[in-house]
Amino acid sequence: MSAGGSGAAAEAIPQNNIMAFGVLGGLIGVYGAYFLVGMVGQYMSFIGALGAICGMVWGAAAVRRVASYGLGTGVPSIGMLALGMGVIAATFGLAVGGVAGPVVALVVAAIIGLMIGVLANKILKMGIPIMEVSMTEIATAGTITILGLSVAMTGTFDFPVVLSQVISTGYIAVIFIAGGLAILHPFNACLGPDEKQDRTLMCAVEKGSIAMIVAGIVATTNPNASGALTILIGIALWYVAFSGFYDRTKRDAYDVVGAGMLPSKEELE
Amino acid sequence: MEPLTGMGVLALMGAAATIAGASEDLESDVGSQSNPNSQVQLAPQMMYPHRIYNKAVSGEPPSNALMCAIGGTTATVLMNTGASAALALVIGAIVAAAIHGTYSVTSYFGRSASQKRFKQPIYLDIIRSHTPVIMGYAFITTFCILVVSYLMVTAMAHPFSLPLLAFIWGITVGAIGSSTGDVHYGAEREFQAVEFGSGLNAANSGNIVRKAESGLRNGIDNSWFCAKFGGPVTGLAFGMTVFLSGWVTAVFDASRGDAIGWVSVLAGVIIVLILILWNRNIEVAARAAYGTYKEDEAEAEVAA
Repeated sequence: MSAGGSGAAAEAIPQNNIMAFGVLGGLIGVYGAYFLVGMVGQYMSFIGALGAICGMVWGAAAVRRVASYGLGTGVPSIGMLALGMGVIAATFGLAVGGVAGPVVALVVAAIIGLMIGVLANKILKMGIPIMEVSMTEIATAGTITILGLSVAMTGTFDFPVVLSQVISTGYIAVIFIAGGLAILHPFNACLGPDEKQDRTLMCAVEKGSIAMIVAGIVATTNPNASGALTILIGIALWYVAFSGFYDRTKRDAYDVVGAGMLPSKEELE
Repeated sequence: MEPLTGMGVLALMGAAATIAGASEDLESDVGSQSNPNSQVQLAPQMMYPHRIYNKAVSGEPPSNALMCAIGGTTATVLMNTGASAALALVIGAIVAAAIHGTYSVTSYFGRSASQKRFKQPIYLDIIRSHTPVIMGYAFITTFCILVVSYLMVTAMAHPFSLPLLAFIWGITVGAIGSSTGDVHYGAEREFQAVEFGSGLNAANSGNIVRKAESGLRNGIDNSWFCAKFGGPVTGLAFGMTVFLSGWVTAVFDASRGDAIGWVSVLAGVIIVLILILWNRNIEVAARAAYGTYKEDEAEAEVAA
């Protein structure tokens, strides 16, 4: 339960599985797109966005876990923090790492996240038991999001290309905010005592596919990435995820009515 | 740039910003986003289920930054392919409004479904009637912010790119809408039933007005109310922010020399000082007119 009260969130899917899904899915997406664009053709760049969605789902799950300890209005802030840490780690990792750039970025992100978590608990004395782990997860998930969407936009994670086509052009702004909201929005939107993990994560997939569509729009101007395929797959994934989210909403809600009056006094008692 | 042309561009930016501010506030009021949302969220828990849209996308600054960044990105991509600026900005704003619509719907569904134990139903007619209104306001906001950003990039040769400027102005318009307009909705509309100026007693928490002049109150009723004062005043605040912050450098152009640059800094400081004094006077005048908080008569008797 998570009514802005305090306590651990109920999990149908264990967080460790989601963590593995985020890291492995994210790295496979980023590297898969990088190598397949070179070998098969530029239209494979959409795999990068799929990797980013793995990162966003993981980030949303981590936000859900840590925010269940009573971070009501802190939920949006923590999502922004994720991408803030992610931008630093991603640019540093790509700048020094070469082909190993994404891995270096993830390691740097984990270190930054751990430091922020330790600061929050030891210096600010927030006293949230899973703060260190969650901050590490959120920073790493934010980094995967940035890497994946950058690869989907440019078809590569070579630092000079990312610098000139993602950062200097200002498209990093849309990666930052679309990725950040995909991480923070699902739990913020589903906040309440009857929140369910699968519904929240389905919302994360849906928001992730919106970020994928936006990355596809940017990719249309880039000769090394394919915009059309990324947009099409993004729209298909959005439709599936939104239907899944609506099904779970109907399952969880007290009632879904076309129109109607408020519940009567007898009903409320 | 010619000072006269600069002033013209600035006036146009100020006008666009004023509209953006007003529509931003009304957009958040239709969905009860931001600060007033806490009471809309709390109401079912206190046994007051309602028919008010619960649009908890995030705080207003991030959600407006998302709209404007997506609009700016789409517009830039279109302009790179040779589309005219007018077309590109409109299509960018349409894409942003559509995406904002999906965010609004997921938050209404998600928040209401998570209140099952308080018996808060999901009303689909609320989704059908309110989401287009929200998207309409989101379109106006995004378009106006894109106009401001586009003028800065082209006419004023700002070094930042269009998506980045739109992102920054999106955060700004959200922050100003959140701090200026919300008071009017939260304090004066949700708690119309309590005496004006009495503050929010803990016993009244969640007891928001749920019935309208006719039928049950919804978010569109709230935006009608806020369009009378909260929206326009947010527009004025944001328009003044854009106009005054640009005015000092348009009149005292720093590119004409260091001395003039310092004069622009000085002019900015003077404007801030004038505003502080003006605000202080309004507060003093309000306190003189309405007096201090009066103790409830019944409470006073018990105390005596």
